[in-house]
Amino acid sequence: MTEMPCQASVLQNSGWEGRKMKERWTEVEAGAKEKQAKQFAEKQAKQFATWLSGESIPFEDSNAAEAYQERINLLKDAIQLIKPPYRVPVCPSPGFFPISYAGSTLYAAMYEFDTLVRIWEKYCNDFAPDAYNAPTSIVPGKVFDLLDFTLYKWPGHGVSKEWPYQFVEGEYMKAEEYQDLIDDPSGYFLRVYFPRIFGALKAFERMPIFPLIHEMVLVPLGLFPFGTPELQKALHDIMDAASEATSWGKKVRALNGSIMGKGFPTYSGGFSKAPFDVVGDSLRGTAGVMTDMYRHPDDLLEACERLTPFMVKAGVAAGKANNHSLIFIPLHKGADGFMSDKQFRTFYWPTLKKVIVGLVNEGLVPLLFAEGGYNSRLEVISDLPKGAAVWWFDQTDMVRAKETVGKVACIAGNVSPPLLCVGTEDEVKAYCKRLIDTVGRDGGFILSTGAGMEGAKPENVRAMIDFSKEYGVYR
Amino acid sequence: MTADEKQEAQFKKLLSPKDPEGNDLKFQSKEAEANYKASINRIKDAVQLKKTPDRVPVALLPSMFPFFNAGMTIQEAMYDNDKTVAAFRKFILEYEPDMHIGAAHAGPGKFYEILDYKLYKWPGHGVAPEHCYQCVEGEYMKAEEYDLLITDPSFYFRNFYLPRVFGALDGFQMLPPFTGILEIYGLAFFFVPYALPPVQNTYKALFEAGAEALKWAMAIGGLNGELTTLGFPNILGGFTKGPFDVIGDTLRGTRGIMLDMFRQPDKLLKAMEALVPIMIGMGIGAMQQTGNPQIFIPLHKGADGFLSDEQFKKFYWPTLKAVMVGLIEGGCIPFPALEGHWGSRLKVIQDIPKGKTMWMVDQTDMAKVKETLGKNACLIGNVSSSMLRLATPDEVKAYCKKLIDTAGKGGGFIMGNGAFFDEAKPENVKAMVDFTKEYGLYK
Repeated sequence: MTEMPCQASVLQNSGWEGRKMKERWTEVEAGAKEKQAKQFAEKQAKQFATWLSGESIPFEDSNAAEAYQERINLLKDAIQLIKPPYRVPVCPSPGFFPISYAGSTLYAAMYEFDTLVRIWEKYCNDFAPDAYNAPTSIVPGKVFDLLDFTLYKWPGHGVSKEWPYQFVEGEYMKAEEYQDLIDDPSGYFLRVYFPRIFGALKAFERMPIFPLIHEMVLVPLGLFPFGTPELQKALHDIMDAASEATSWGKKVRALNGSIMGKGFPTYSGGFSKAPFDVVGDSLRGTAGVMTDMYRHPDDLLEACERLTPFMVKAGVAAGKANNHSLIFIPLHKGADGFMSDKQFRTFYWPTLKKVIVGLVNEGLVPLLFAEGGYNSRLEVISDLPKGAAVWWFDQTDMVRAKETVGKVACIAGNVSPPLLCVGTEDEVKAYCKRLIDTVGRDGGFILSTGAGMEGAKPENVRAMIDFSKEYGVYR
Repeated sequence: MTADEKQEAQFKKLLSPKDPEGNDLKFQSKEAEANYKASINRIKDAVQLKKTPDRVPVALLPSMFPFFNAGMTIQEAMYDNDKTVAAFRKFILEYEPDMHIGAAHAGPGKFYEILDYKLYKWPGHGVAPEHCYQCVEGEYMKAEEYDLLITDPSFYFRNFYLPRVFGALDGFQMLPPFTGILEIYGLAFFFVPYALPPVQNTYKALFEAGAEALKWAMAIGGLNGELTTLGFPNILGGFTKGPFDVIGDTLRGTRGIMLDMFRQPDKLLKAMEALVPIMIGMGIGAMQQTGNPQIFIPLHKGADGFLSDEQFKKFYWPTLKAVMVGLIEGGCIPFPALEGHWGSRLKVIQDIPKGKTMWMVDQTDMAKVKETLGKNACLIGNVSSSMLRLATPDEVKAYCKKLIDTAGKGGGFIMGNGAFFDEAKPENVKAMVDFTKEYGLYK
């Protein structure tokens, strides 16, 4: 289950407190000395052991506990590239498919927690993927109603009840604000960014700058905004949203306990992003970040560097809190066609690589989801330690991927949503067979979809999973 | 706008003051208006060093003296806003300095109690009712936490520092990083901790304390407005600090920072650099809020004897200067206070833009200050606390005469006390103000 770690003690246990964050990602570079490579391997093995232990999972019986370990071992062997697993692990990305499969709507799943539970249980019971995605992407609608979240539109809130939520592109950070972000990232988020993306948090503009509260005479001047009704209202709104999020969290936790208790691990234990995407997705927006590569290249590069330790920290803290190895990293603006090869090497890859190596150094396994095509990036992204990451592809040439980045990393993918939506069962099986025969050769492969399975024919989903489990056995 | 134009614009604004509704301020008399404007013009001339003012302006910068002067304890002033206001009003009307620095010194006692502030002891709360509050030195930031501070100052303060110095802000430790909010994915988890009872108790305390601070700020602000209409400008627009003192005073403490200069000099330097933009923002933000460009910067650990000359140049001065230059570029007038003795630092600190700063001088030899720093900057001071407490009015006058003759020569000088004073003979304070008004005329 992906959950934000919130206790300071979690941060401390994660190795965050007092650790040399800035140096951490330089401690072990790709292709580093043997001793260092061994260090990361030891940490990775330890983290896998933690995941495998299944501690605190309410298993239904000993068979379930055993199945849980077997499934994790499939992933572990596929990732480490030391020996092929027993068979190809099958881990599709469900997207919103479980909702239509259960005959419900995204609106119902977002607003009625029992419906969400029923939808997810049904999907996992009926299809039995080797690892399932916790319903982290099916967010509780009321939380966002209460906060007046403006970064998205969602069913019943700007989008019709049947449709997925939609991101609202914009320049939520202005071009001239790079330095503010760089000087004090959390201060910038708190007092500038949040008031823009949460209507209910407009008054956060008046939130004190915490580092100014360091001497007696400054304290009343710093904290008096907490006496104003505007800031109090905003914080009461957060607390209302929190109580809603807590009820949702309890349901989701119980749901995850139930699914894992039947022997199914989750596919990821945390979330992080490429620093360029942090800037390009929801701060500067696509148009903003693209023009910044020309107009403000130094600011952009510095911001990416500045955000790097945050992205490492987010993944490490979540992985350790959730006793999981895999950290999901969806990749957006670096895909083929978004930028030139030179721009990818200059702006996108260096800090993404630092995030990857930072996670690897802490024993975690980045699950890099390359949305769209990555054909022109395969050589560049091959510069990684062996057996340390998963590259999950969408529309990339899988055979070439195997020949390049597949030499150092496990490959996942790439049954396409169109095939699942309009193909036949035989076509799906044929595609899976080809994947297993080529990319799956000698291990190092997870059979997955190229994207979420919205609109897929249930029989195609079943064919993909059942066929691959049967045909994918290594002999 | 250039720094010059920005400073000019600030003075222009000060010369046509507004009431809280934004209309032209109504003075209580023609004389009050004339006094107010004369004082602003005197500061302007004294700061800019372009021309000599019509006379040496005189400022009173007390700590707790106004409360003793009104026959009350510091504890009474800290726990009763009305008493604070009455005492300070009485003080100004009695001594009639050209300008003052406001009545914020005592601070709201109940506010600190609600927050369970551990960094200080104050009257009735660990200190006798008639004594000033005291800082409790300690390592509130640990030696190994520099990276946390450098990487994310606001997060470090909220999750580590503030819960250590305020018992009531314990719940802050449980809050997740702000930078986790990126997409809708998993976002609800971010808010869960705000439902935890310790977090809600922290906000409850902040709301209560904030209400106290607001009442206090309204009382102090109201008095400022009133004193302006009576012709007495407040020359304190805000407060910031040099990065070395931020870390050395209340984060690492004196002992901690002295060791860090030897054990982890690079971390210390990086952390100070990280604080520069925040300290600049603090000053500029305060100026925008108060409309006053003078930003006070108390200087502590750089005084003679605390650091070697080499350490001063390497650790103390560069980031302090960077803060001052940043403030100047933003239109502020940095107002640093050379607390204690600074004779060995004058050659270094005189290297600042001319006509943009004013320096409060405590015990350093004023003639030497005038010859060095005084070439580039306005000086304010340096009648010592011991003189105000122990000397005779004639001795005070003689000292003021000497100051006017040396430091006041050619302008660029404001008569004032050298350190924030608590106890003093009323007749000495009176002598300093009256004598300056009489003898300080430039001919």
